[in-house]
Amino acid sequence: MPRTLRVLVAKLGLDAHTIGVTVLARALRDAGMEVIYSGLRQTPEMVANTAIQEDVDVVGLSSLSGAHMKHFPQVVELLAAKGAGEKLVIGGGVIPDEDVSALKEKGMAEIFTMGTDTRDVVKYLDTWWADGDGAP
Amino acid sequence: MSQDSSTAGRPGAAAPPGEPDRDIAEEAARWDRETLAPEVEAHGEREQAFTTQAMKWPIKPVYTPADLDEIGFDYLVDSGFPGEYPYTRGTEADGYRSQLWAMSQVSGFGTGEDSARRWRAMLERGLNGIIIEYDLPTTNGLDSDDPLAEGEVCRAGTAIDSLPDMEAALDIPFDKLKHLTSVCNAPQPINLAMIIAALENKGVDPRSFTLLMPNAILIEYTCVGRYIFPPEAGLRISTDVIEYTIANHSNWVPIAIVSAQLYAARATPVQELAFSFSIAMTYLDAVLERGLTVDQVAPYFSFITGIDMDFFEAIAKLRAYRKIWARLMKDRYGAKTPEALRLKLMGSPGTMSLTLQQPLNNIARLGIQMLACVLGGGGQQMTTPLHDEAHALPSDEATSVGIAVQNIVAHETGAADTVDPLAGSYYVETMTRRMEDEVFAEIERIDALGGALEAIKTGYFQKELAKQQFSRQRELETGDRKLVGVNHLVKPEEERGIEMFKLDEDAESRQIERLRNVRAERDEAKVNECLARVEAAARGTDNLVPPILDAVKAHATHGELCNVLRDVYGTYHPDSLTTGV
Amino acid sequence: MKSARALADAALARDILAGARIIRLLDDRDEHGIEALAHLYPSSGRAYVLGVTGPPGAGKSTLVSKLIGALRKRDLTVGVLAIDPTSPFSGGAILGDRVRMQEHATDEGAFIRSMATRGQLGGLSRSTFEASAVLDAMGFDVVLVETVGVGQDELDVVELAHTTVVVSVPGLGDGIQAMKAGILEVGDVHVINKSDLPGADELERQLHVMLETEAHREGAWKPRLLRTVAEKGEGVEELVDGCFAHREHLQATGEDERVAARRAEHFFLEILRDEVSARILAFARGDAAGAALLEDVRARRRDPYAAAAALLDAFEANPQTKR
Repeated sequence: MPRTLRVLVAKLGLDAHTIGVTVLARALRDAGMEVIYSGLRQTPEMVANTAIQEDVDVVGLSSLSGAHMKHFPQVVELLAAKGAGEKLVIGGGVIPDEDVSALKEKGMAEIFTMGTDTRDVVKYLDTWWADGDGAP
Repeated sequence: MSQDSSTAGRPGAAAPPGEPDRDIAEEAARWDRETLAPEVEAHGEREQAFTTQAMKWPIKPVYTPADLDEIGFDYLVDSGFPGEYPYTRGTEADGYRSQLWAMSQVSGFGTGEDSARRWRAMLERGLNGIIIEYDLPTTNGLDSDDPLAEGEVCRAGTAIDSLPDMEAALDIPFDKLKHLTSVCNAPQPINLAMIIAALENKGVDPRSFTLLMPNAILIEYTCVGRYIFPPEAGLRISTDVIEYTIANHSNWVPIAIVSAQLYAARATPVQELAFSFSIAMTYLDAVLERGLTVDQVAPYFSFITGIDMDFFEAIAKLRAYRKIWARLMKDRYGAKTPEALRLKLMGSPGTMSLTLQQPLNNIARLGIQMLACVLGGGGQQMTTPLHDEAHALPSDEATSVGIAVQNIVAHETGAADTVDPLAGSYYVETMTRRMEDEVFAEIERIDALGGALEAIKTGYFQKELAKQQFSRQRELETGDRKLVGVNHLVKPEEERGIEMFKLDEDAESRQIERLRNVRAERDEAKVNECLARVEAAARGTDNLVPPILDAVKAHATHGELCNVLRDVYGTYHPDSLTTGV
Repeated sequence: MKSARALADAALARDILAGARIIRLLDDRDEHGIEALAHLYPSSGRAYVLGVTGPPGAGKSTLVSKLIGALRKRDLTVGVLAIDPTSPFSGGAILGDRVRMQEHATDEGAFIRSMATRGQLGGLSRSTFEASAVLDAMGFDVVLVETVGVGQDELDVVELAHTTVVVSVPGLGDGIQAMKAGILEVGDVHVINKSDLPGADELERQLHVMLETEAHREGAWKPRLLRTVAEKGEGVEELVDGCFAHREHLQATGEDERVAARRAEHFFLEILRDEVSARILAFARGDAAGAALLEDVRARRRDPYAAAAALLDAFEANPQTKR
């Protein structure tokens, strides 16, 4: 029985622009993944708990307000502290280049900025999954 | 195709005397056969099928008077003259000949003082309108020290917690200001009250400029999501603002429906107009229920639209926008005065067409869209987004370029020198009519669902937008639509070397400190008494603005006031259906 | 990865990470999950299982969220299984029920899990029974199960739950005609949600008539009919009371033993059916006789019944298939 990749797509903070997550959620579903969407205005604590309860393989964070440097790393830290550090955390939104490298240093696996082709996200996740990184 | 159209006749219209158009139709068919077809045969065409960008309407190789004939175009009925019903050619008889549009820009970051510094510079550089962007805690009705606000304070706009913040923000030369726009849908009565109180304290005459309020919270439930309360409560709060402003500040505009927000959420022009007008009519009905007439109320409604890159679709949208509003007000509401029939519009190049990649290209896009705004008649106030907006808050340099773009179109192109110069274009008129027909059909569909409020609650708008969002994304990914820098002429390892605005990272802590000082220094008993009166008004039917005005004067905070309203109305949590996801 | 035993032990100590992982492994039909379930199963059977079903748009997720709040206020821990459909085209799914429940995301006493049907019909997912047993063994006092809610006959929840709550809502077309009669008959508690909408009284009257005309045995539970406005939290306490009244009735009459037996039977037979068919199909695919029989059916030398009987004979005769 092939395992199904599970992905949490979460909006962090007060920014409520949902086009990115809407489009991504549909693309991931169409690629055969189970996508959990937890709604707007999530705190890092809510996202980490949700990721654990749902036992997702991937946590996709979205923020367009510029608060990503504060929120994204908090999710990575909380997951590690709760024993779920193996989950892949990726991010998306309006994120300047210099922040991308800073976020990666803080444990984010990849950042997809505005205008990303959703197929690139699917390909990235499929590759990661096929490489066995996601095996529990 | 041409064979069909030449024999299709003229639905609903008698043939004009002399039948000159009929000859043109025959000639067009002949041209198609004899001249065009061999060319196409020999060279083919670039596209399988040419269509407009958003509507996907087929585009013919050429348009002729026969196309106008086919739709039964009647100049006096469909276009008329500028400044007269149905206002297709513009709401002002002389267009931009007596006066250019007021040039505005969206701005706001940091504390009130930080924003005021930028706004003063903008007014010095020739702008006469400021569109205030508040930070997310403010638009969400949270004080800066709320745990949920952490990391967001002062970031995506200016932070307003209490009256002293608004006073600091409005430290600007009012003699240079024509339009002030306060972009804060959900807690608008609080922002309105703070502006009124700040003007009073400064001794500024509120009649010296126009305050425009995007106060149409219903649009937030369809996209973007900056709502706090359930839709019905949102409607009531907005209606209080409209009623209060009409009674007390008759030169201000208490409701602007930001259809640009729908456009940015990938609504097609037809959806943008139909959804916005349905929402507008919901407000109109709510205000009329309070005993005012449509001729008293309609002049206070305004719209803010975004212009996309399909030049002709954009121009047709602007022309249809005015015409449909006039027809709705006249036919549905029986409005009689020109003020009620004339659409108040603010046009702006759209943020959605701007790319993160190769940001300087965005200047070209802004120029083209600005030209479309002027040719289509984008209103008496216009603005531009800025070319680095996809990255972060606009830099100082981008602000200057944005002002220049508006001035170049105004002074160097001649586009503003005659009124509605594209009227009579066979293509533009054909598209304007089609836009109008389809918007009316969509409005009727929303009517059948029970109106805008029902369409929100059942998720109709959200689902329709989600479909568009997905298909627009697909289009880019498959390359069906070319976007320079994104899927065409892509630079692989692109370095984006443009000046980026750096936010002062201490702003948040400075803002929180001031908030705490305000709380420490005020008369707590008086604040509580004021908040109790706000609560009483919220539970009853008294207008919310007067008690909120008293409360902000007593230095009640933005978050405290919103919490009172939260206690009364509850907060809104959409389900998966109504988020569109 | 932790061994199945270690995972099970951790889950028994209500380690969320471990419980969540076991549910995942079971959903993926992973042997470790099946092994962990073996350790957990003896500790299950204590939780009160509450099923919530009803048509799309009835506000089930909101109601479940309010139920979580009300149960937590009574100091009960709550596990939630919220089911959404798997896309038949891609095998993927968008699971959005918990959007309405996120106010409980940081509550240690509430565990919310979204599950995709993964091809299962009947309103539950392929492994809802398993997941419910895991939450039960972890010591959650109440397990709330929200069915898919796509309007099909969602009756499987009756086999799983002690109490089935059927949610209806005014204005869904032609009153209760719009609801599948099957669902209405299985409700222990009926809720008219959004009961502040026009049409609520009419719906209540219709439901009342329907419940009254049902044959009623002496001493049997009489389904309750309640009204809620979940959005505003109205009627939720009464709904919890109604559910617990049903539970007390089950306990007082010994019916709860029958519920447990019925659930065990259903759970067992479902798994047996899956396992048997998987094993026989694997045999059919791996055995040359299987391919020959298929060819016979295609060429109409043998009818499908005769071919199936022949294959089962071959399966039984083959010593390899005796594990």
